[in-house]
Amino acid sequence: MNTQAQTALTPRGRSWLRMRAIARRHAYVLVRSPHRLFDVTLWPLVDVVLFGSLAAFVGTSDASGAAKASGYLLAGIVLWHVIYQSQIALSTGFLEEAWTRNLLNLMVTPLREIEYVAGVALFGMVKLVMGVGVMVIGALAFFSFDAWSLGWGLIPIAITLLVVGWAISLFVIGLVLRFGTGAEALAWGVMFVLLPLSGVFYPTEALPTVMQPIALVLPTTHAFTALRGLVDGHGLDWAQVGLAALGSAVMVVLACWYLVHMLAMFRKRGYITRYT
Amino acid sequence: MLEARGLVKDYRRTRAVDGIDVVVGAGQRVALLGPNGAGKTTTLLMILGVVAPDAGTIAICGIDLARHRSRAAECVGFAAGYLPLTERMRVREYLRMYGQLYGIEEPGPRIDEGMERFRITHLADAMGTELSSGQRTLIGIVRSTLHRPRLLVLDEPTASLDPDVALRVRQGLVEIAATDGTALLMTSHDMTDVEHVCERVLFLSNGRIVADGTPDAIAAQYGRGNLEGVFLQLAGDRESASTQQTDHP
Repeated sequence: MNTQAQTALTPRGRSWLRMRAIARRHAYVLVRSPHRLFDVTLWPLVDVVLFGSLAAFVGTSDASGAAKASGYLLAGIVLWHVIYQSQIALSTGFLEEAWTRNLLNLMVTPLREIEYVAGVALFGMVKLVMGVGVMVIGALAFFSFDAWSLGWGLIPIAITLLVVGWAISLFVIGLVLRFGTGAEALAWGVMFVLLPLSGVFYPTEALPTVMQPIALVLPTTHAFTALRGLVDGHGLDWAQVGLAALGSAVMVVLACWYLVHMLAMFRKRGYITRYT
Repeated sequence: MLEARGLVKDYRRTRAVDGIDVVVGAGQRVALLGPNGAGKTTTLLMILGVVAPDAGTIAICGIDLARHRSRAAECVGFAAGYLPLTERMRVREYLRMYGQLYGIEEPGPRIDEGMERFRITHLADAMGTELSSGQRTLIGIVRSTLHRPRLLVLDEPTASLDPDVALRVRQGLVEIAATDGTALLMTSHDMTDVEHVCERVLFLSNGRIVADGTPDAIAAQYGRGNLEGVFLQLAGDRESASTQQTDHP
């Protein structure tokens, strides 16, 4: 077992090698499943056309209103796709293993759970760049909306949203481990609940009063509030970014805790037999 | 190589494995036999670290599996006749990925060697979904031996294989054990497999080991001519016990 080829790598080197192997495996899935390319090309473009056209219609009577509507709707949907793409990439990456009964193959190898998640997230970053890149180009080409004109303030907001997307997918993976692939509907469903509550396109004051306290607890709400500040030309509201970062950190800790417990239950109750 | 002591596993109200010891030395070829529901697969899954035992300890190559699963897994290979290949990958890509998961940076030569051993080099560029179940099994065995494991665990390695392919598998396994010093622990419902490959047999019934010895010694112990006779007797005993339980609750 301890041959030259294996011992040449340090434990960290082996860990990195395993992450790369998982990332490459998911690259094959994307390249060889044309329908998966829809997630990173067609649907983002459809969203740009939908929300860009909505903004153009809303602002037809008022030039400054049009600019503001474009900013809110297009910047909102582009940044929303940061969460969506990061969440879907990680969740469906794991679900792919469950759908193809590949979990046992992976679980008997030295691959650690953290390495698996990191490998899928690594390739998920490629999908994220593709998806968001398509949107940015589409918004510029069709609606003359330059997302980069909002400045570098977009970056901390996007990072926060990326982390929230990962946290949600860790939670979804925990649910699938516990309840089986029947829980996969949550991979998409969670996002549809989060979208209106986070005030992606409007301030949370526009929500029904009873829902406003829930919205304020979500880190995404603060990230999108900071985004609207940028669109309004007020610069980056670091207080909102800080709240978003804190909230996303709490979400990650809770999601990891949940996932670790579900994984222990998966092993304890022998749920692997669902996938063999 | 493998030292599992006092393994217990309960699923709800059923005790699947009831305090068994499985100890396999370096280079030993051991079969885990028993009727359906005897606890074979649960035992293997515990040894692989995929199912957590309710009691007992497992050490592989002297490494405590519960505390250092990843390190222990580097010493083990696993193949099963029922496992699919990873989809949307060509065979060589698939084997490369698993080689890397076991820490081999450039697994190409090992892949060639393994495919030559089982005479399947012509499948290197095929997609996993284009293969027959027998071909998938052979590739699964190549995958499980890429890192030259000290312990090779096999669950039904020849299930649904044609006789000529099953023979190739048996010859390959014996060769791996002889040349690499790999210990084998396998389950099978094919007693020909066991008699050709394994030098020691552990018979499980109702989660307990009821016999441990060479195939001939076990057959003699039960007054049967071969392992199949022992198997049929144990399965029959189990069936009549379960019928009595149903008749007299």
